[in-house]
Amino acid sequence: MDQTTLVARLEAVVGPTGVFHRPADLLVYEYDGSVDGAVDTARPAAVVLPTSAEQVAAVVRIANEAELPVVARGAGTGLSGGAVAQRGGIIVSLSRMDRILDVDRDDRTALVEPGVINLELSEHTLPGGHFFAPDPSSQKACTIGGNVAENAGGPHCLKYGVTTNHVLGLEVVLPDGRIVWLGGRAAHTPGYDLTAALVGSEGMLGIVTKALVRLTPAPEATLVLLAAFGDIDGASQAVSSVIAAGVLPAALEMMDALTIQAVEPAYHAGYPLDAGAVLLIELDGATDEVRETGEEVAALCAAAGATAVRAATAKAERDLLWKGRKMALAAMGRLAPNYYLHDTVVPRSKLPITLRRVGEVAREFDIPIANVFHAGDGNLHPLMLFDRRERGAVERVLAASNELLHFCVSPEIGGALSGEHGIGTEKRDHITLVYTADDLAAMAGVKNAFDPRLTFNPEKLFPKGYMCGEVRALRAQALAQKHGIYAF
Amino acid sequence: MPSEAVGRRPEGWGQAGVASANGRPTGAPAIDGLAAGRVLHPGSAAQVADALADAVSQGLAVAPLGGGTALALGNVPDRLDLALSTAALGDVIAYEPGDLVLSVGAGARLADVQALLAEHGQELPFEAPRGDRATIGGLVATAIAGPRRLANGTLRDLLIGIAVAHPSGTVTRAGGMVVKNVTGFDLPRLYHGSLGTLGVIVSANFKVVPAPRHEATVLAVTPDLAAALAAAKSVGGLASRPGALEVMLDGEGWTVAARFFGRPGTVDSAVAAAKGVLGEGTRRLEGAASTAWWRRYVDGQAIEVGPDEVMVRAAVRPRDSGSLAEAILGVIGEHGVTSRAVSVSPGLGTVVARLGFPQAPDGAPALRRVQRALLGVADHVTILAAPPAWKAGLDVWGEPPATLDVMRALKSQFDPERTLNRGRFAGHI
Ligand SMILES: Cc1cc2nc3c(=O)[nH]c(=O)nc-3n(C[C@H](O)[C@H](O)[C@H](O)COP(=O)(O)OP(=O)(O)OC[C@H]3O[C@@H](n4cnc5c(N)ncnc54)[C@H](O)[C@@H]3O)c2cc1C
Repeated sequence: MDQTTLVARLEAVVGPTGVFHRPADLLVYEYDGSVDGAVDTARPAAVVLPTSAEQVAAVVRIANEAELPVVARGAGTGLSGGAVAQRGGIIVSLSRMDRILDVDRDDRTALVEPGVINLELSEHTLPGGHFFAPDPSSQKACTIGGNVAENAGGPHCLKYGVTTNHVLGLEVVLPDGRIVWLGGRAAHTPGYDLTAALVGSEGMLGIVTKALVRLTPAPEATLVLLAAFGDIDGASQAVSSVIAAGVLPAALEMMDALTIQAVEPAYHAGYPLDAGAVLLIELDGATDEVRETGEEVAALCAAAGATAVRAATAKAERDLLWKGRKMALAAMGRLAPNYYLHDTVVPRSKLPITLRRVGEVAREFDIPIANVFHAGDGNLHPLMLFDRRERGAVERVLAASNELLHFCVSPEIGGALSGEHGIGTEKRDHITLVYTADDLAAMAGVKNAFDPRLTFNPEKLFPKGYMCGEVRALRAQALAQKHGIYAF
Repeated sequence: MPSEAVGRRPEGWGQAGVASANGRPTGAPAIDGLAAGRVLHPGSAAQVADALADAVSQGLAVAPLGGGTALALGNVPDRLDLALSTAALGDVIAYEPGDLVLSVGAGARLADVQALLAEHGQELPFEAPRGDRATIGGLVATAIAGPRRLANGTLRDLLIGIAVAHPSGTVTRAGGMVVKNVTGFDLPRLYHGSLGTLGVIVSANFKVVPAPRHEATVLAVTPDLAAALAAAKSVGGLASRPGALEVMLDGEGWTVAARFFGRPGTVDSAVAAAKGVLGEGTRRLEGAASTAWWRRYVDGQAIEVGPDEVMVRAAVRPRDSGSLAEAILGVIGEHGVTSRAVSVSPGLGTVVARLGFPQAPDGAPALRRVQRALLGVADHVTILAAPPAWKAGLDVWGEPPATLDVMRALKSQFDPERTLNRGRFAGHI
C-alpha cells in the first residue's frame, strides 16, 4: 500500500483531522520520555488518533493489510522507548479517547478510556472518597492505557500494589483487529487470566481501548513524617528497621543531599538543607492506628540516627512535604540540563550496599548522581545529571548506568532489571542478564499466541535479532537432541 | 533428596501404591474416578521437566499433583496416565524476613509456610481450605482463595516470581525476589489459575506482609437473606474496612460475619462500629477464637462433595450479589435440589453453594439444568465439584469467553501435545 492510499484509508476511518503524516507533524512522535541516545528514535509512516475502539480496530485491520507494524501510544512519557515506532508503521495515539465512562462507588470501580490522564481519574473520584492508587511521578501527564501497558508503579504502590493489582478488566483490540473483553466486573472469568498477561505487556499483545480499574477508598487519616539523616546509610538503616518492625507505610521515599539541594531552594518543601538524606514516610488508615504507628516510626527513625523528625497531618502541610518529592525531577534542571533516570529494584536489605555502589559509580564515571526513589520497595532511581552538549557525556552516562544495572542484577544483589519503566528498547539487550533463552522462549510463546505475525510494537523487550518463532524451533531442536524424540 | 527415585528411565521411578524413596506414601491418585497408572515424585525442577519431556515422547497424559485437596476441580480429564507429584518439592528455598519475600517449592503446604512466617511475625494474607494439606503450587494453579480476598486479593496479588517445568523439557523462571518487577511479560500471574495446563509450577516467590497484631470477628444472625445483605452492606461501608465479610446460610437463618485486623485499639473501635450497624444480638470472637472460626468456615468450602452433592460458584459484579443470591435460591427451589450450604461474599460478588441432589445417583440431567439456569442469572458459573459421572459432557467452567482461540493458542505454545491436564480446563483445553 503506498503512502497516499494508506493515508486515505486511515482518513476514511478517523477523518482528516485524525491522521498525521507530514514529517513536521510526525516529529514529536519519534520520541517518548526516554533519553535520546539511550533509545533510538524512529519515524512512523502515520499517526492516527481514533476516538473509539471500533476505529482502533479498523486502523489495525488496515495496518494488517498494508503489512505495517502498529504501535500504541498514550502520553509518550514512557522511559524505555516503548511508544517509539522502531520499525515505522502506524502509531495509534489514544489521547482522544479520554473519557471517564463510569464510576461505581458501590463496586469501587471506574471504567475509563485509555487516554484518561492518571491524576485526572483520582481528582475526579476523590470528592466521593475514592482514588486510583497507582500514582507514577508522571501522573499529571501519563495515561491509564500507558500505565496498564507498563504496569506502572508509584510511591503509594508500597502499600496498595502496582497497576496490575488494580485492573479488573480490559477491552482490547487484538492484533487480528478483533475487539474483545478480558476479565471484567465479575470475578472468575473462565480460562487463562489474559488480563494479567496484558498488563505490563508494553503494547505488544493488544491495544487497550477501555480499562475497568479498581478504586481505593480514601483513608480515614493520613500522616506524613519527614525524617532527616546525616547520610544515606542512616536513612537506609531506618528503612530496614521500619519494615522489620512490621509497619507497612503507604509510601516510603528517600531523597539524598543532591536532590534536597535541587528541590528545597525551588519549592521550599521544608527539607533540611544540611541533611545527607531525608525519608518521606506516609502512614494511612484508621485515625488511632495512624497516630500510634506514627509514634512508633518516629522512634525507629530516631533510633536509626535521624537528626530531625517532623510530622504533618494537615493536608496543606502534607502536600508541601510531598511537593518536593513530586517536583524532584523537574527541579533537577537547576543542577544540569539533562538527566538520565535509572530504574532497578533490589531487595530492601541490599539498599545500603547498592547505594554505596551508586556513590562509587558517580565518582568513577565523574557523573553527579542524585537519588530520589521508592525506598520501601527497594526501587532505585539514580538520576544521572549531565549536559548532552558536552562531548561523550551521553556515552559516559550510559556506561555508568550499564555498570549499575549489572551490579543490581548480579547474583550477589539479586535485583530486577526494571521496577516500573519497562524494558522497551532501552533494556532489550540487557534482558539476557536476568532471563535465559528458555525463559525468553516462554515469553515468546505468549507473544506468538496473541500476535503470531509479530505486528504489535516490534523490536521491544526481546533482544535485538530475536525472532519469537525461531526460538521455538530452536527449543524443539534442543529437545530433540537431548531426548532423541520428536517434539513440536 | 530422593534422586534415586527419579531418573531418566521410568522403571526407576516410584510406582503407584509404593512408598517413594523419600518415604512418602504414593497411593495411586485418581481424578474424577480416573486413576493415574503411575505417580512420580521428582525431587528437583529439572527432574519434573525431564519427566514431562519423557511423557511427551511416550504420548502420555499427565496431571500435576499437589496436596490433592482440589482434584475435583475441572472437567473430567480426557485421559490420565501419569501423576507428577510435587511432594518432594516442598522446601523453603529462600526466606528473607527483612525483605518480606519468600520462595518456596511447589509442594510446600500452606499451613507450614504460614507457621514459618509466623515465627517472624509475618504472613501471607491469604487462606484456603485444608491449608494443612493444600500446597503452594496447587493453590497458585487453581487460584483458590478465601474470604480475605476482599481486602488482600489472592495469591495473584502476592506472586513476585515463579519457576515452571514445561513439556518441552525446560524449566523457566519469570519475575524474581523483589516486590516490584516489570522485566518482561508477567508470566507468574498468567500461570496463576491456569490449572497446571501450561506447565508444572515447581516453585513460587511471594511478597509477605507483617502479620496483623490482633483480630476479632463480629457475628450477627438475621432471619432472612435481604436483612443479612443490607447489614453486610453497611458493615462493608464502614471507614474501618473489614478484612473479610461474608453472609452465610446457617440453619434457618443467615449469619453476617465481619473480620477485622489491626492494632488492638483499632480492632476495638472497628468492632464497636460494626456492632453499631448490626444491632442487638451480635457475638464477638476475639483473637484465636476468631482465627479458628474462620479456619472452620474456610475448610467448609473444601472442593469435595458427597455422592449426591454438587458445589457451585457463581459470580456477578459485587453490587448485584444480593440479587444473585436470591436468584440462586430461586433456582434451587425450582429444580428440586436442596441447599446444604450457601455463602455469599457481597464485596466480591460471589456465591458458593453446596447443593444436595435428590435425583442421585442419576443427577446428570438435573445438574445440566441447574447449570443452565445458573448461567442465566450469573456472569460466570463454575461447578467446583460434582460426581464425575454427572460432570461428563459438561464444561464445568461454563461458557468459555470469546478469547478461547487465544487461550488455545497459548496452550499450544506451551503444551502442544496437550500433555498436561488434558481437557480439564475451560473450553476443555
Ligand atoms: C518525569 C517522569 C516520571 C515518571 N515516573 C514514573 C513512576 O513513578 N512510575 C512509573 O511506573 N513510571 C514512571 N514514569 C514512566 C511513564 O510515565 C510510565 O511508564 C507511564 O505509565 C507511561 O504512560 P504513557 O501514557 O505516557 O505511555 P507511553 O509512553 O505513550 O507508552 C508507554 C508504553 O505503553 C504502550 N501503550 C500506551 N497506551 C497503550 C494502550 N492504550 N494500549 C496498549 N499499549 C499502550 C506503548 O506502546 C508503550 O509501549 C515516569 C516518566 C517520567 C517522564
